[in-house]
Amino acid sequence: MTVPEAIGEPETLYPIERIPAAPETTLRHRVGRSLLSFVRRAPLSAFWGCIAAAIVVMALTAPLIAPYEPLKSDFRHMTKPPAAPHYFGTDQIGRDTLSRVIYGSRASLTVAIGAVLFGTTLGSLWGLASGYFGGRFDIVSQRIIEFLQSFPDLILAMAIAMALGAGIGTVIVAIAITRIPFGGRVIRAVVLSLKEMSYVEAARGLGASHLRMMARHILPQCIAPYLILATTHLGVAIIIEASLGFLGVGIPPPTPTWGNMLADSLNGGLVPPWWLVLFPGCAITLTVLAFNLLGDGIRDILDPRLRRAV
Amino acid sequence: MYHYIVRRLGFGAFTVIGVSIVIFFVLRVLPGDPLVAIFGPEGFTKLSDADRAGYMAQLGLSDPLIVQYLHWIGDIARGSLGHSFFRAESVADMIERRGPLTGEIALISVALSWIVGIPVAIISALRPNSFGDNITRFVSILFLAVPGFWFGMLIVLASLFWFGYRAPLAGASLLANPWDNLQIVIGPAVVLGLGQAAYIARMARSSLLEVIREDYVRTARAKGLNGFRVISLHALPNALLPVITLSGILLGFVLAGSIPVERAFGTPGLGYAMFTAVSERDVFVMQNLVFLYAVVFVMLNIAVDVTIAWLDPRIRYQ
Repeated sequence: MTVPEAIGEPETLYPIERIPAAPETTLRHRVGRSLLSFVRRAPLSAFWGCIAAAIVVMALTAPLIAPYEPLKSDFRHMTKPPAAPHYFGTDQIGRDTLSRVIYGSRASLTVAIGAVLFGTTLGSLWGLASGYFGGRFDIVSQRIIEFLQSFPDLILAMAIAMALGAGIGTVIVAIAITRIPFGGRVIRAVVLSLKEMSYVEAARGLGASHLRMMARHILPQCIAPYLILATTHLGVAIIIEASLGFLGVGIPPPTPTWGNMLADSLNGGLVPPWWLVLFPGCAITLTVLAFNLLGDGIRDILDPRLRRAV
Repeated sequence: MYHYIVRRLGFGAFTVIGVSIVIFFVLRVLPGDPLVAIFGPEGFTKLSDADRAGYMAQLGLSDPLIVQYLHWIGDIARGSLGHSFFRAESVADMIERRGPLTGEIALISVALSWIVGIPVAIISALRPNSFGDNITRFVSILFLAVPGFWFGMLIVLASLFWFGYRAPLAGASLLANPWDNLQIVIGPAVVLGLGQAAYIARMARSSLLEVIREDYVRTARAKGLNGFRVISLHALPNALLPVITLSGILLGFVLAGSIPVERAFGTPGLGYAMFTAVSERDVFVMQNLVFLYAVVFVMLNIAVDVTIAWLDPRIRYQ
């Protein structure tokens, strides 16, 4: 079916003044402008946002940046401290630590982003539904969420990762499940307060369907808290992923992850070489710090009232 | 108050039952045969079918899941938690021997988090957005980003390099050998304590800044009290409620966080036992330890709720 051409000439039918198309309303300009105001209002967060972006770029372009193959052993340089050809030293079987740290960012970021996309999003949608519908569905949802929260998140993730067997998919699922209650609780609280707003009541009065109410009138208001949750939880997910890797239930070697590199460093004996401990940990700290501070900045700008809630 | 406690305990019991069901079924969907975990892949192939069936029956694994579950619950109720696949020591003995160490670590770390976190929060809240406030805020954000187990590894390494010192590796109980016990416990406790202190400081700061706006604080200032007295004697008590709640939740997380931290320090506590069970895929030990952790976590939450209700009557009468 073709859309009929514009009926008649609008100028002749409606002799109104033509409003010149405002160039700043294009999407690119709007994004640019809000980025600029972000930089102006939270320069520190913007700086850390740049670092977070740099880490993401590093993960994407790892094969181009890494000086060596992360899995290739150099048997002439085993357990060597940082020196000219290997700037971060080499591990017990002669693999270049710098390359492994660079490649490790891939595992960490994939898991963290995957876990947040599934877990926080699913939890938020669940919270949206249970807050909106209320009643019995809400009560049952709340009980399930309380069950999920009666395990410390690392232990829950450990048990799930162990039950499902090692692998990147299972680690994502394990961490995602621990993120669900947070999304559920925070978004539900937001929805409960939104439901009482008069514009929502007006929409209901006009006969909007449940789906339309949720999608058009309530969901947009949940985006700010969702973004704040998601950035905060990226950091948490990275730490849980590293802990799982450190405990041997994360992504299994030989794939380098920051967590299993730290676990491997303990393999050689009682005393791990310091460079095998220092660099992966610095990578974790820097990444988590970058995402947390970016999240803080987003929170301050989008919704200062949520400071306490998340 | 009495009704409130009974209600919370009743709900807690309900949660514990649910938790036990979840743990049992999550750990029993384990792909792979538990016998492979016990005998190793090579030993497993050498077993005849009859042997396999015999071992499964002996371990109680050939019963229907419901029967296995009820059996396990019965064992817990009788206090016999079964044996590890790999070790002679029963799980109950292991908890008795290793539990106190982890408990000490958790308690010391909570005490430490208050000792460090609250003064930092007071300093921050005295002059919000000043240089000192920004520094302490940055340090606390930094500590949220540092993985505890890595920090622990660095401490172990640094003390070895610079002082040639390492905490004793063998377990030592508080009563029999307090000096060794302290050396074992202090490292993990400091690491976990500083991690919590960061949360405590953040929460106490924002809570203080909210309370400071209240009228009675202005009155106290108008009386001519100095800033420090106003904050620490007048504002702080009311600002502590959310901090207590948070601290209770954090205590639960410390129990979990102690798993990698104890691994990093080589502390012979319950967290290390959990790590061993995980790496050996020892389902029975895992199941009981996870259950224990979950029960402690639920109890802590109840204790915190009751404490808050006791301190704040508004919650009691909801």
